[in-house]
Amino acid sequence: MLIAVAEIPSPGYSVLAALLIFIAASVWLGAMAQKAMEKQDFMQGFFLGNRGLGAWTLALTATVQSGGTFMGFPSLVYSFGWIVAVWIGSYMVVPLTGFAIVGKRLAQLSRQTNAVTVPDLLRERFGDSRVGLLASLMIMFFLSFTMFAQFKAGATIMKHAWPGSGIMALSEDYDAAPAKDGASKVDGTATKSFLKTWFPLDPKYYMGLAIFSITVVGYTLIGGFMASVWTDLFQSVMMVIGVMLLVCLAVPMAGGMEQASKAAITATSTDIAFGPGYSTAGREFLTPGLALSMFFVWVFAGFASPASMVRVMAAQNTEVMRKSIVLLSCYNCLIYIPLIMTCIAARSLLEPLGKQSDEVIPRMALLVTKDFPMQTGPFVSGLIMAAPFGAIMASVSCFVLVIASGLVEDIYAKFINRNATEAQLRRATTISMVAVGVIGVLANLNPPEYLQALVVLSGSAGAATFIAPVMMACYWRRATATGALAGMLGGFMVYFGIYSCGWAQNWATANSGLDLAKQILAILGPDPKIGASGLFRPYYILGVDPIIWGLLASVVGGVGVSLLSRPPSPELVKRFFEIRTSPKAVGNG
Amino acid sequence: MSDSNELPLLKSARREAVGALLIWLLVTTYSVSYCCAYGYNRDPQTLTFILGFPDWIFWGIVVPWGASTVISAVFAFCFMKDEDLDS
Repeated sequence: MLIAVAEIPSPGYSVLAALLIFIAASVWLGAMAQKAMEKQDFMQGFFLGNRGLGAWTLALTATVQSGGTFMGFPSLVYSFGWIVAVWIGSYMVVPLTGFAIVGKRLAQLSRQTNAVTVPDLLRERFGDSRVGLLASLMIMFFLSFTMFAQFKAGATIMKHAWPGSGIMALSEDYDAAPAKDGASKVDGTATKSFLKTWFPLDPKYYMGLAIFSITVVGYTLIGGFMASVWTDLFQSVMMVIGVMLLVCLAVPMAGGMEQASKAAITATSTDIAFGPGYSTAGREFLTPGLALSMFFVWVFAGFASPASMVRVMAAQNTEVMRKSIVLLSCYNCLIYIPLIMTCIAARSLLEPLGKQSDEVIPRMALLVTKDFPMQTGPFVSGLIMAAPFGAIMASVSCFVLVIASGLVEDIYAKFINRNATEAQLRRATTISMVAVGVIGVLANLNPPEYLQALVVLSGSAGAATFIAPVMMACYWRRATATGALAGMLGGFMVYFGIYSCGWAQNWATANSGLDLAKQILAILGPDPKIGASGLFRPYYILGVDPIIWGLLASVVGGVGVSLLSRPPSPELVKRFFEIRTSPKAVGNG
Repeated sequence: MSDSNELPLLKSARREAVGALLIWLLVTTYSVSYCCAYGYNRDPQTLTFILGFPDWIFWGIVVPWGASTVISAVFAFCFMKDEDLDS
């Protein structure tokens, strides 16, 4: 028999207490990190942890997920069923590809060039400042979308942590209605109208946004890269403990995994056990073409993400990378399949969650711990629920750091003040990080509805943009700066071009009575009803994700233009590809 | 191109990159083919469960996931070579 939402105990103060413990632990880790990096070169220490990441810190922070993995992913499993195991299946090789394809070589190049950021590395490797500038601008563009969405997610969790505020969905349509029904006009006074215009959401959301932003920017400012890495490691460990606890309690409660699957089929339909997945909206979630695409998306987005590349550059040595592959492989085994099992069990235990499917993990945490002795259940469930919050904090911390390092190292120190002193660099870093935090807050005062969809878009676009230039930088002597620029722009433009066609198709489908819409649909065809629904779904050429076409364009553009342009100078090639025969032979590129 | 002068780390990194890409290709081919063959357009009456997983998920995802973890460990400890990053 399915359990109604009303029968699940309220989290009370437990979630709030757990979040406060997380915040306190993060600030403490930030302070510890500051002590650890004292007396080191500021830029190397603050932005790269003095290249001292060990196996655990590298494995559990370099390619590990953000909070969305523990809110959005379970929601997909709950909504579409077992097919989501195929959707995430390529994570079985992500640890290997994440470190073995470019990890070792990137770490070497970053040392050869003394690079602190990815654009820094590309600029030196290709001997052209345009490559660094374009890479820097693109990284800031992609990461900003992702980071702003994480601010919103962090604030929303803080809001829901207050007793009586519900659980903690990351749903895109929460509480926005009052702002859209003209409430400000009814209130009458200018002050209320102003407040409603600029602060249309629940005041608890703004309190959460303030606490979240001050905490994350604060501890990152104190401890830099190491603070970001240590909090990331801390949340990763908490996460695996929480997931193991959940699966061990949820599956027996559902009567075993087979029983859970059969009950899920009874509660929905047989589609939940097969491809392309269960859907009440008539869409095919994961067609074979999209299943193949996902084996490209996670693998390539994993090792070409700027945040991941920076952490690989900070690896202590190659032994650390080898150990990280094994550690992360085991970690992924303990996270993804148990999460899928828990969410299938949820289908057999909980009444349908409808649009609140993001709440599946918090609700299961409360359900499975409700009979714990001595009132420990709420606290344990609070800790499980706080884990995604920790993941979000760690992600934001990393993004703030990467964007600030781009502003300081790639723009301020390269174009504005080439002879900046350490004090000036410190001041520029503080100003950049505070500015990024303030912009993050301002962007979320009235957050766009579809920010979460933009996160997926910007992550895949980053992969389509950087994979070919990074591979060329690592392994191809003939690669030129013009080729790298063409690779970046080609991947970016094709990816966004295809996405734009999808937006046009969506608009035309929604406004099919208009002449312009009819013309668009005559060119692009009707909505194929595949993939997840939403305004920002892409256009699917031959039924595959745009990342495949973006990658192809990036490779063709990068290789083709390199071959057509003048070869790089022999000195540059020698510096990065050949054994030094004499110290005098090493130039500055 | 003068291979004899090539950085030792570059040689081993290239070899490892090719190895990792081949493993990814193998896993992708097997998992996607198996899941598409047995997980789509199938008569629901024929579904069986192995250790609680639908049979096609067990053979198409769970088993290769376990195998990939073992292969990754073997690759990391037996195939990858330690090099001096400052070379």
